[in-house]
Amino acid sequence: MSDLYTAVVDIRETPLDPAAALAFVSDPRFGGINMFIGKVREHNLGRIVTGISYDLFVPLALRTFEEICERARKEIDVPMKLYIAHAKGSLRLGEIAVIVAAGTPHRDEAFRASRLAIEAVKHEAPIWKQEHYVDGDSAWSEGCSLCEEHRETERAAAHGRTAHAHGHEH
Amino acid sequence: MKVRINLFGALRDADASGYIELEVPEPCTIGELRELLRDHLRTYAPHISVGLVQRSAFASNDEILHNHRLLPEHGQIAILPPVSGG
Repeated sequence: MSDLYTAVVDIRETPLDPAAALAFVSDPRFGGINMFIGKVREHNLGRIVTGISYDLFVPLALRTFEEICERARKEIDVPMKLYIAHAKGSLRLGEIAVIVAAGTPHRDEAFRASRLAIEAVKHEAPIWKQEHYVDGDSAWSEGCSLCEEHRETERAAAHGRTAHAHGHEH
Repeated sequence: MKVRINLFGALRDADASGYIELEVPEPCTIGELRELLRDHLRTYAPHISVGLVQRSAFASNDEILHNHRLLPEHGQIAILPPVSGG
């Protein structure tokens, strides 16, 4: 059985399942299990949010999740099980948008693997968030550019600034 | 050749069908396609900011395609605005 699980879950069919993630990364070899769950929250940038729609480019998203798992395995370099699942479709407040779980021999590696994976999912995977607000308005989040040429330009412009290296915060 | 550019995120607002088809020279680099798409949007979807196209990446099902790369032969490509998952 593979030690890596990646999925895009159409939430019209089924919600994301933390219990399934925990079960997947559990193993007699592993004393450390860490799980990150990202949920739809009520406020963003001072506006009241009623829900979020997630759009994904599924084939590349899955490929990106697999690359992230391989990178975590290489960088942390211990036996490991990793689980990455992201929702697709319209979510209401409190519903789960993303689950990252890691099982490793000790806690430090589990924390590091799940941190690496969630940050990479947020910055690299082809996923887009459209927030819906209580006043009926909707907006796509600003996001991180995947365009290498544009990132180079931004890096040059951000040189000397201590804020988020690509010009916005999230 | 004809290329179909599949739209995602904020760029879905450029065409309700979810894609844009353009006639492009052959061969055509991603950088050239970016210019052609910008011109197309200026005419047919002026509400889309030029800056958004600049910040977007092009991709096949497998990988990001940078400006120097050639269009895939099957004529299908995705344009990915800045991402905001999680």
